[in-house]
Amino acid sequence: MNPQAAAFIGAGIAVFTGIGAGVGIGLATGKTSEAIARQPEASGKITGSFLLGIALAEATAIYGLVVALMLLFK
Amino acid sequence: MSASHSGAMSIGERVSEALSIKTVFTMHVFGLSIPISETVIATWIVMAILFVFSIFATRKLKRVPTGLQIFVEFFMDFADKFARDNMGHNGRKFVPFLGSIFLFLCTANLLPMITPMGGFGFEPLFVIKPLTRDINITAAFAIMTMIVVLFSAIKYKGPGGFIKSFAKPQPFMVPFNALEYVIKPLSLALRLFGNILGAYIIMLIIEIVMPVGLPPILSLYFDLFDGLIQAVVFTFLSTVYIAEAIEQEEHS
Repeated sequence: MNPQAAAFIGAGIAVFTGIGAGVGIGLATGKTSEAIARQPEASGKITGSFLLGIALAEATAIYGLVVALMLLFK
Repeated sequence: MSASHSGAMSIGERVSEALSIKTVFTMHVFGLSIPISETVIATWIVMAILFVFSIFATRKLKRVPTGLQIFVEFFMDFADKFARDNMGHNGRKFVPFLGSIFLFLCTANLLPMITPMGGFGFEPLFVIKPLTRDINITAAFAIMTMIVVLFSAIKYKGPGGFIKSFAKPQPFMVPFNALEYVIKPLSLALRLFGNILGAYIIMLIIEIVMPVGLPPILSLYFDLFDGLIQAVVFTFLSTVYIAEAIEQEEHS
């Protein structure tokens, strides 16, 4: 296999990190909706920690993207 | 790849062209030649916008606010309250730093939206690419945040307390706590860079594949919403890191 093809396959595999981020953000969003439904008056604080959580969960997907881009356009 | 599109470039070529950061001109100062890239010029534009806006917004301050002053006072009030809620009573000292970061990132992420429309065979007058797609900018911001975190930790905990804070719940945590000072700026920089770059590439591909109708709608999400959310997230994470650094032991 030539290196270019290997790099393309590697980039494709790297983007699989998106699965984890998707599951994580989905769980976080679901729990946030539940929490706001239970206590609407605390929605400000809940939204704050929600944003922090999705930012951290999303980081893995972004690392995957960065690795894929590095493989594709080095 | 439709042949109707003006440039006969493939998607891969367009994307790698978008990724490259061009040098616009080279400045010669004291025998040094400093390459000025398009990112630097976009940064100057953002600085000019913020500078002019700040001067206009605070020029004629009145006891009873009108016009722009209402907006500025609202923002300052909000930043003050945000800092006190998240960082305790010492948090107000960090409002100028965090507020500047937030305003800069908002302006920087929204600036590309003023690029005039191109396509249908003619080139737009000027193209402003999002400047946070350059990892140098985001790395600079992350390193700045980390310097503030380090110095405020040393200032508020004292040198001894700062060293002791590495061994915080248990002594075997020392390497992990030390690693945090590398991982935090790395993840801050890469998050902003990756998000903006990803959105930019997706918008490019959408503009190539379907230039009619779809781009303006998706641009609302990828440019406006994502840019603002990333500015908020960056500022919020900086706040959390600083709050962690300046929290003091309870002396009861």
